[in-house]
Amino acid sequence: MRKEELTVAIYSGNIPSTTFIENLIEGMAESGMNIVLFGKMNRRVSYYGNVKIIPTPQNTPALALFVLKESVKMIARDRRKFAKLYSSVRKRTGSPRQFLRDMGAMLPIINEDPGIFHVQWAKTVQVYPELFEHLTGKIAVSLRGAHINYSPLNDPSLADAYRKYFPGVSAFHAVSEAIKLEAAKYGADPDKTTVIHTSVRDELMNTPPKEVKRDGKFRLISVGRFHWKKGYHYGLDAMNILKKKGVECQYDIVAQGDVPEEIQFLLNEYDLNNSVSILPGMEHSKLMEKVRSSDALLLPSVEEGIANVVLEAMAAGVPVLTTDCGGMNEVVKDGENGFITRVRDAEAMAAKVELLARMNPEQVSSITGSARETVRMGFTRELQKKNFAAFYNKLAA
Amino acid sequence: MKIGLVLPELPQYSETFFNMKIKGLAENGHEVIVFTSEGKETERSGFRVVRALPTSGKGKAGIAVNMATAYAKLLSGSFPEARRFLELERNSGRSKREAMKNLYLNAHIISHRTDVLHFGFATTALKRENAAAATGAKMSVSFRGFDINVYPLKHPGCYSLLWKRLDKVHSISGYLYTKAIGMGLSAGIPHMKITPAVDLRSFPLKDAPGSIHNPVRIFTVGRLNWIKDYETAVSALGILKRKGVRFTYDIAGEGPEMERIRFAVHQAGIEDDVTFHGKLSHEKTSDMMRRSDIYLQTSMQEGFCVSALEAQATGLLCVVSDADGLKENVVDGVTGFFAERRSPRSFAERLISVIGMEEAVRREIAMNARMRLEKDFTYERQKELFNDFFSGLNKAA
Repeated sequence: MRKEELTVAIYSGNIPSTTFIENLIEGMAESGMNIVLFGKMNRRVSYYGNVKIIPTPQNTPALALFVLKESVKMIARDRRKFAKLYSSVRKRTGSPRQFLRDMGAMLPIINEDPGIFHVQWAKTVQVYPELFEHLTGKIAVSLRGAHINYSPLNDPSLADAYRKYFPGVSAFHAVSEAIKLEAAKYGADPDKTTVIHTSVRDELMNTPPKEVKRDGKFRLISVGRFHWKKGYHYGLDAMNILKKKGVECQYDIVAQGDVPEEIQFLLNEYDLNNSVSILPGMEHSKLMEKVRSSDALLLPSVEEGIANVVLEAMAAGVPVLTTDCGGMNEVVKDGENGFITRVRDAEAMAAKVELLARMNPEQVSSITGSARETVRMGFTRELQKKNFAAFYNKLAA
Repeated sequence: MKIGLVLPELPQYSETFFNMKIKGLAENGHEVIVFTSEGKETERSGFRVVRALPTSGKGKAGIAVNMATAYAKLLSGSFPEARRFLELERNSGRSKREAMKNLYLNAHIISHRTDVLHFGFATTALKRENAAAATGAKMSVSFRGFDINVYPLKHPGCYSLLWKRLDKVHSISGYLYTKAIGMGLSAGIPHMKITPAVDLRSFPLKDAPGSIHNPVRIFTVGRLNWIKDYETAVSALGILKRKGVRFTYDIAGEGPEMERIRFAVHQAGIEDDVTFHGKLSHEKTSDMMRRSDIYLQTSMQEGFCVSALEAQATGLLCVVSDADGLKENVVDGVTGFFAERRSPRSFAERLISVIGMEEAVRREIAMNARMRLEKDFTYERQKELFNDFFSGLNKAA
């Protein structure tokens, strides 16, 4: 197959999708690939290059009509295959509405039958198993965060679905070496798995790095939604330890959503309401300003692929302190380009904050300088684009 | 005396605390009516059950019919009480609409005359603060952990009206009472601390109290929610594993944090040593306790914790957090041991030191615990105290 004929379906189920998936779509379209998107259309989007969008309607009458139309198309091509799909989805779904929704999601994909179907969320194998039985092109699956790291631990049926369908997948994309290893437990062949790291925006690399200043309180920041995996409770433990030691800190948590009971409880229990601020999610440029105005970014997470916010802070010249969860130790080397501790170890986190707070500006600059270099060498848009293009071309060859 | 007990639902057989409380009151010649949203209006072993009017199901029309019937009934049977209730509601700053809604919510209570209206939980008294005053009854409430430790986190100031209406307070620990004072409860309102008790026949002393198996058998009972802090327990056991201490860890309970705890277990590398049993019956819990060596409770906070009491009755070695409620439950170094809240290192050190103790010392601790239970935490004693609680309340009138 020649490159310009290559059609890749980048499938997340949502149009537009999350930032990194949108970056992938844009990057591949710019590289001259034919991209096709399926799923729920959340708002109008336009892309440069050859991007075809086949949305599935959401309101019932339109959805019913859409399913009918797509069914006719499939029956015309292969009646037996349609019968198989129909009975499988009927058996699996509880309500007529669910049946319609599932058929509406899968039929256009099966009818289009793209050369490469790239599933962004591994759980799709459990949600739409029929896709993995009916598509004739190559299937690629991305291995990301929770879908691999903990969801299958608590959901045996998901683990079973992985074990059933992963062996039939042509190629895997892993966001880190760590997740590649974890997914191997569910039958994702490491020899078929390519690690392609995430990337940061070019403009971050082009702005001058933050100057190191030390005046008054040490300012820490964490960014990410409220979820137990973000480990904010450990971040607050660390703040409590620092407070007891007399290290003056201000800790900003930028997080969308309601403050969980647990976090509110710890703020009260540790009497941290004056030194911890919870800020609502903000637009990216504002967020980066906020990060730049901090003395360090803390990632207290217990689970991540590779956290983009850490790469962004590194690119902006802000020192990072992170746990060694997921693929973080593929980026951060302790004492070289940042600081790294074991997961769930608030004492170690506090010790690293203290260490950093006591460093002189030259030492800090040396660390942030090599952090920038790390990002420049391994986490640019250009590199990510090149790697994905190679990934698809190899798959198509 | 006629005592109205307001509970969110009828006590299950397992909720011995309430059952014994009611039984004790009936034995002392009091007439008990249980007002509740669940269960039928029946006579049940010595007390009468009055059910609240439905607030869900049947759709809006159904509710409207129910409301009309309820108001009609009140008009005919309890007009003065209903009028006083509405007056009190309006004087409490509630809108007409709210007052009418609350009248519906309280209709089953105010249509009965009682001498005392006792709310089993502070949260059960919300929107029902004026029910007692409307019928001329005395009002009392029980504080439990959730009422004081958790609910107000998201609802600051939720008890301000309740504090004004109370005639007497029962608290399961001194700590909860002190915390309520901090939340605006007047110290002038009479109060009694009556801790939970244990049915010593259901939790008999195990063979060889204080003994330790190899691998050591560790056990925890409790809902899988954030406040129980299973992550700290799991991390502590991860430390034990790395130090070569052999153990099994059994967890009895269910709850919203299963995925999070399973992931912690996975990350600590102790999957082969941990068993999740789900929610166990009283009998099975007691059996499990007799087979175990150490009872572990890492809670961030507790009202009091009946399970730790039951473990002490059984002759287990209790290693518990220094949460305020637990400090009144276990006597450090005498009937069990404390470790620092949220500190896996502190728990690991404590567990290792207990395992390493001489058999005779461990036995002494376990026997101390049993003796203290037999002396201060029996049902008989609890019944007497509750009788005093209500008698005192009536005399005050």
